[in-house]
Amino acid sequence: MAATITPYRSGQRAGHDGFVPLLRAEWTKFRTMRGWVIAMLAAAAATALAPIALAGIAKSNDPETCTHGLCQVEASTVATGPDGEAVTDSFYFVHQPLAGNGSLTAAISSLRGTGPSLRKRHQFPQAPRTEPWAKAGILVKAGTRPGSPYAAIMVTPGHGVRMQDDFTHDIAGPAGPVSAASPRWLRLTRTGDTLTGYSSADGTHWTTVGTADLAGLPATVQAGLFVASPDYTVESQSFGGGDQGSSSPTQATAVFGSVTRRGDWPASAWTGSHIGPLELPAKAGGHCVASSCGDTPQQPGRFTRSGGAFTVAGSGDIAPFVPIVDPLQVALYGTLFGAIAIIAVGSVFITGEYRRGMIRTTLAASPRRGRVLAAKAIVIGTITLAAGLAGAAVAFVFAERKLTALGWTPPVWHDWSLTSQVGVRVVAGTAALLAVTALLALAAGTILRRSAGAITAVIGLVILPLVLAVILPTGPAEWLLRYTPAAAFSLQTSTLRYSQVTTGCVPYHGCYPLAPWTGFAVMCAWAVLGLGVAAVLLRRRDA
Amino acid sequence: MRHALHAEWTKLRTAPGTALLLAASIVLTAGASALAAAIVKCPGSCSADTTKLSLTGVMIGQATVATLAVLVMSGEYSSGMIRVTLAAMPRRPALLGAKAAAVTGVVLIAGTIAVAASLLAGRLLEPGNGFTTHHGIAALSLAHGPTLRAAVGSVLYLVLIALLSLGAATALRDTAAALTVVLGLLYIFPVLGVVALDPAWQHRIARWTPESAGMAIQATRNLGTLPIGPWAGLGVLAAWAAATLLAGGLLLRLRDA
Repeated sequence: MAATITPYRSGQRAGHDGFVPLLRAEWTKFRTMRGWVIAMLAAAAATALAPIALAGIAKSNDPETCTHGLCQVEASTVATGPDGEAVTDSFYFVHQPLAGNGSLTAAISSLRGTGPSLRKRHQFPQAPRTEPWAKAGILVKAGTRPGSPYAAIMVTPGHGVRMQDDFTHDIAGPAGPVSAASPRWLRLTRTGDTLTGYSSADGTHWTTVGTADLAGLPATVQAGLFVASPDYTVESQSFGGGDQGSSSPTQATAVFGSVTRRGDWPASAWTGSHIGPLELPAKAGGHCVASSCGDTPQQPGRFTRSGGAFTVAGSGDIAPFVPIVDPLQVALYGTLFGAIAIIAVGSVFITGEYRRGMIRTTLAASPRRGRVLAAKAIVIGTITLAAGLAGAAVAFVFAERKLTALGWTPPVWHDWSLTSQVGVRVVAGTAALLAVTALLALAAGTILRRSAGAITAVIGLVILPLVLAVILPTGPAEWLLRYTPAAAFSLQTSTLRYSQVTTGCVPYHGCYPLAPWTGFAVMCAWAVLGLGVAAVLLRRRDA
Repeated sequence: MRHALHAEWTKLRTAPGTALLLAASIVLTAGASALAAAIVKCPGSCSADTTKLSLTGVMIGQATVATLAVLVMSGEYSSGMIRVTLAAMPRRPALLGAKAAAVTGVVLIAGTIAVAASLLAGRLLEPGNGFTTHHGIAALSLAHGPTLRAAVGSVLYLVLIALLSLGAATALRDTAAALTVVLGLLYIFPVLGVVALDPAWQHRIARWTPESAGMAIQATRNLGTLPIGPWAGLGVLAAWAAATLLAGGLLLRLRDA
């Protein structure tokens, strides 16, 4: 009779084959490697301290030069808006006082620009004759002081009917330009503090474009017709670094017909005046400023009236003022030092296992390889996120404080707090982009299995584009900041940008072509792609 | 010393990564240079320094050169080979000298090929993008003194970057740490040098950091407006390389392997 051999069974209870123990294992690996912990702490410290140091050497804006994106000439035309923000408030206004409630209606049959003045036209061969954001319409304003509250309904050559108020608010109405064949009827009605803008194609069927609530509007306001045409600005960068920027005032002329008033209007004639200072040729310290040399001065507007028709010419813009330089963003370039340390840790988190042969133990303990990669990604991503949040919050608060002390102050530069929308986006965004950078490094480490290759590759993908973006011409530079993971650094922008303001801003000035979270999405797409390839390769190859 | 050199040459020649990294250096440098020459156009960038433009790839190829040089030293530490090496060659400064000589040799050869290919690409592509005599821009030629200096200087630049990396790796003994420090030095400071708001600091960064100062060797136009002269800039980089090699050599001598 054959004896049955009982196979050996260990007395040890089988361990859990769950995801949580796997996470714990990866966390233990990280925690017990002294070099990795030191590198991560160094990354947090660099993220916090380098921006503060950089903010410390950002000299306050020097009015003698244009190098900081705000020339003397611009500074003299900046007004302070209702919310304490810097605004451009310069336009031609044909106005009368309106006491109490009332409304004004007009039909605009033409809005044409003349483009940059003849003397400058050779310099701007691409300039359109009519600025897309030229504006003509009906405006109600608390007074004639630049920066005072207002609401306006207007037509634009490139962006249809708009209802705008208090510089930053912009509501789109019906699209399309105006012409003599298809005039656009506009109406602005005041009821207490509420202003309502209407638009119509025929003067009988009206649609509401939007309403504006101007709290504290005085009983008597200035109301009337206005025309504005923003400066034509070109900004480009050429190979080798350096930018060429130039701008010229433009003028637009609009024809208003069927002007109808309702309410308590005076019998006196209409007053035509340019609101705000007229822009003079850019000069600093008596010398022509290179970036805006040879500017012709802004032409004052004028108006003529024949019967019920008004022809109004005007120049300037009614919009938030957007400075080119973003000092806080410049200071936050210091987080690159943290990023580079995080790239090293993220890569070594897996390549270290290959170097020491530990990967074989890891994969023996958890044969489902995709889960190993997922656990590693969660652990390194979470640790980096925490380190990045701490570092970025400290950097943000202290850099902002230092910049304020150095003269980067409101109204032109914002004094953001940590809890403001921008503060939260910059700090959370910096931490998030560092965490995703760590994931990219982990993916590269898994794919290449060598720290040298992985670190070089990820630095080439994340940091090198920022270097190239300041030395290549505009086109390729913007391409790099659109399609490489470096697009995510747009999260560190602290200047607010508005769709209704065209700013000539190029990568050389730290401008990104994509909006903050869109740029971050580009980086995430790279990380997802990288981790996907890494997971496939980890599963297919022998360790 | 001759034996040390022979040993280092054998190690370098037979390590699997060397040929790959050298090939990558040549391809990346020449490829990026050709790409830059293909996308930068006149009008738009007519004032561009065409020599510098055709040597743009050096900025990218330097990363693989640095990787190679770091691995020459840190590779020995990660595999434990360093103990065998030091047992066979107890004179540590001579060992570092031999490694530096071997790295210099291969980078000189690869760098020359890469720079020559870059210039050739520039010479062929740039006239097609509007950089012609019509705009007062002559085709690239090594007979032009400043262009020759930029070409020779770019090869020397790559050699000095390699020596700087070797020194850093000797001091830090770890691939990841050394590479992070070297690439951080090479790629972060040039960005800060451009975006820094204080012109005094822009000037300082341009003069004293290894990448920005060393790259001055590629300039052939408006030399008077450079923050630092071409050879002086390369001299700053050489000082960085010498300082890190010296620090690495001292630490190599003082520490146990």
